Amino acid sequence: MKTATQLSLLAMLSTLSAAAAAADGAAGAGRAAPDTSRWQCKLCKFEDGLSGTVEVGGAYVSDSSSKFGEYNGLNKDGGYFIGDFSARFRGQDAGYWNLDAANLGLDARSLSAEGGRQGTYKLWLNYQELPHFISDSVQTPFIGSGGASLTLPAGFPASTTTLMPLPSTLRQVDLETKRKELGVGAAWTPARAWDYGVNFRHQIREGTLGTAGAFFVTASQLVRPVDYVTDQIDASASFTDTRFQAKLAYYGSNFTNNDPSLTWQNPFTAPGFPGADAGQLALPPDNQFHQVTANLGYQLAERTRATADFAVGRGTQNQQFLTPTLNGTLAVPALPRTSLDGRVDTVNANLALNSAVTDRLRLKAAYIYNDRDNQTPQSTYSWVTTDMFVAPSQRTNLPYSFTQDKAQLRADYKAAERTTTSAGYDYDSVKRTFQEVNKANENTFWGKLASRYLDWVDLTLKYAYSDRNYSSYQPVPEITPPENPLLRKYNMADRTRNSGELRASFAATDTISIGLQFDASKDDYSNSTIGLTSAREYNFGGDITWMLSNQTSLHLFANRQEIKSEQSGSQTFSTPDWSGENKDTIHFVGVGVKHVAIKDKLEVGADYTFTRSKGAISVNTAANEPAFPDISTSRNSLKLYANYRLKDNVSLRAGYWYERYDSDDWALDGVTPDTIPNVLTFGQLAPQYRVHVIAMSVRYKF
Amino acid sequence: MRIRKSLSAVLLVLSGLAFSVVAAAQGAAASEAPAAGQGTEYSENGADTCLVCHTEAWPYPIFPIFKTKHANRADKRTPFAGLQCEACHGPGAKHAATASKDAINSFKATSFLSVGQRNQFCLNCHQGSARIGWVGSKHEINNVACTSCHKLHVERDPVLAKATQPEGCYKCHSKVLADFNKPSVHPVRFGIMTCSGCHSTHGSSTPAMLVKPTVNQTCYTCHAEKRGPFLWEHAPVAEDCTLCHVPHGSARAVLLTKTPPLLCQQCHTVAGHPSVAYTSSGLPGRGGGGAAFLLAGGCVNCHSQVHGSNHPSGIKLMR
Repeated sequence: MKTATQLSLLAMLSTLSAAAAAADGAAGAGRAAPDTSRWQCKLCKFEDGLSGTVEVGGAYVSDSSSKFGEYNGLNKDGGYFIGDFSARFRGQDAGYWNLDAANLGLDARSLSAEGGRQGTYKLWLNYQELPHFISDSVQTPFIGSGGASLTLPAGFPASTTTLMPLPSTLRQVDLETKRKELGVGAAWTPARAWDYGVNFRHQIREGTLGTAGAFFVTASQLVRPVDYVTDQIDASASFTDTRFQAKLAYYGSNFTNNDPSLTWQNPFTAPGFPGADAGQLALPPDNQFHQVTANLGYQLAERTRATADFAVGRGTQNQQFLTPTLNGTLAVPALPRTSLDGRVDTVNANLALNSAVTDRLRLKAAYIYNDRDNQTPQSTYSWVTTDMFVAPSQRTNLPYSFTQDKAQLRADYKAAERTTTSAGYDYDSVKRTFQEVNKANENTFWGKLASRYLDWVDLTLKYAYSDRNYSSYQPVPEITPPENPLLRKYNMADRTRNSGELRASFAATDTISIGLQFDASKDDYSNSTIGLTSAREYNFGGDITWMLSNQTSLHLFANRQEIKSEQSGSQTFSTPDWSGENKDTIHFVGVGVKHVAIKDKLEVGADYTFTRSKGAISVNTAANEPAFPDISTSRNSLKLYANYRLKDNVSLRAGYWYERYDSDDWALDGVTPDTIPNVLTFGQLAPQYRVHVIAMSVRYKF
Repeated sequence: MRIRKSLSAVLLVLSGLAFSVVAAAQGAAASEAPAAGQGTEYSENGADTCLVCHTEAWPYPIFPIFKTKHANRADKRTPFAGLQCEACHGPGAKHAATASKDAINSFKATSFLSVGQRNQFCLNCHQGSARIGWVGSKHEINNVACTSCHKLHVERDPVLAKATQPEGCYKCHSKVLADFNKPSVHPVRFGIMTCSGCHSTHGSSTPAMLVKPTVNQTCYTCHAEKRGPFLWEHAPVAEDCTLCHVPHGSARAVLLTKTPPLLCQQCHTVAGHPSVAYTSSGLPGRGGGGAAFLLAGGCVNCHSQVHGSNHPSGIKLMR
């Protein structure tokens, strides 16, 4: 690609001289400044001083459900405080401040304050909490969930889960995490063309997540602690001129995990493997990333513009290694190093040239380069198989690197007053290290037609064809035991992709608008005998917005999506002897009505949404086993609301929300902690809920 | 391969030449008169001319603009510190005299001005910073007007507020609305995450207009624990999160494209347990084997460190 890359750059540069020559003549035309001496703006109602709103009230949630409250904080039954606040102050001299608070009574609360002198400087401070309630049905016999060490009560270990004293030792643990983020920042505009800004974010994430640990053929689902701190900083300087714009920025990220490991006692006996009574998982290591970016834009001529983006980054990770095993009976050769000294260098670049060549023709050319250069040193490690025995062969780490070159060309031609045809070509080349394919190239050709031939119809039709080919597919010698030689990993495999899209919007009458969209894609991995062999997807949706009257509006939305794929496997490590099929079907329907019952007094509305998903899986072998039961979910949600204006500045708000959720998941249904003899599971349930929420609040405007 | 490379290069060179030719021709094109309609004369009294008709009782409420940044006269960059209404709507004398809708830049879709011409009024001030890449971005090329997303005459632009921003995006990206209603999602539907948290709506070099140069760099802004580099990397994880996860919503748990073991068996085929066909006979009560590889977490019952491991014995992603 090197030659081609250089040629492409040359091609872009070759435009500069000619384009720049055309620039000055075009840019010069301007109007004389009007006489504004009589422009008093007497009728302008500038609003200085303080204004804002306060909303207080209460909500009642009928039932507890971590799925219902997954991200909104309404996960427990009972009462909640509704508190929202917003205040604005505008001074005569461009001084201002804003204060906003939302969801004060919920775990998803946020606060923000901003102030300064508009056009000169501003300072801000934000605080936000983001909860994630993952499960309220986890059961575990381990003691110390949420901490870095899990121990077991008396009665463990046992040879199988059925022989464990689970009825007397299982305890319920909620899986949930919460992010709390504090941000502070400042921006300064010393002159019209210059802007400087800095933004610092300090985020802590605490709570629990699920994980698992194994001792060869036995395993346990475990609750692991989350105690992360992430600091991120963005600093930038921008220059903006009519012809030239530039932004130079720095991004830094520092991640710290206060729990570098999780240790757990083995609940299973391990006959023949003395000392295999505890294991340790490495939790995510501390890491840093620093990146400098430059974004440049230059107006070569009135209708020709060049842009360039560059980003150079470095990520490092040097967390001290954990011991290879907690099993004191094993003699493990010394590690080649005490920490990884991991380093990844990134380079990203994007050069683009755009020209609205004539009133009818527009061209774009772009070159994109993405490089992840993993400079982590390679070493050979002796390792222990799940704290049971020293593995007979040493292994060398494989620091994966990726280099992507992309080139894009497109032309848009206005074939008629309201019809544009477009066509393009994309080249995409990916190089990988330590993988089966060193280089794969993809060529994409596409065409598009967009027309508003009739006043009331907007139509867009697009079709694209892609063909990806690899240079050669060779097993990676370091990966042992080897993969089936007939496998072609789907991210590198030869692939043809056909995709199409049709969008139409109709302004049926002055009050009714209708939108329709259909898109589909089909992937064929024709040279893949084992692995993913084909994938298909289509999506069909429509929406109607209907202004029934000046007081009433109606919105309808419906969507159906189908995602299907086929794969092959070989139990005999040869040619395919089984196949797997996945098919997800998802329906979504939404209806919303808004009605002004009493003008300037009472507004009422209702929103109903229904989502149903079905995941059908079949694994076909000579034994002709039946397909799996569907993985299914359905959610019905009805919201009713009313806003009543008591006075000019006081309104009452009331709302009722009912939501019903059902799900089936064969991986969880009927699976109790002792269902699988050699896996101690959480016995987690697929979520179901019926929740009613009633809310009332008063809103005061000042 | 070489032929393909050369072809690509030749195409690129030709495109460069085409650019040269057309850019040279541009002087003539640029000098063409703008579309008929708006005059070149400004009104007599500025906003006071406009507000005589466009009163507070006007069907489209315009007065809230006086609560916005654009109407802060002490900031000399703003429209109301300059040509007031006509700073954005263009010279208004003809419109004031004729009341013709076609004699002023209304910023509406029915305007006599093209989307590009309408947008230029905004870009005259807002060309820099995040909008450096606006020209040539997907939104710009597909004729998205600034006012398709932004409202200027309201106290708070809904697309700049966390809770209301997605509604603005769904107007065109309706499939994403359906995605965010799937059972496993990023929390956009809950109002605590915005589209612009991941997407740079004013232009970016990534296919989906992401805020960072690659998918993974974008994901790491919230999931920094997965950045590594790890001692034992899982190759597809280091390459592209979307090889296993979908970004908006999925019918499968934790935004996965598929569920284990079939998800993993698309790439893991070594002799032994990874290549076994795990059928429904392994479900509870069916009497078959393989439950440990199928139920609860499936493959991750043992290989829990799918995002990479920094444990010296973590080669199999089990420590």
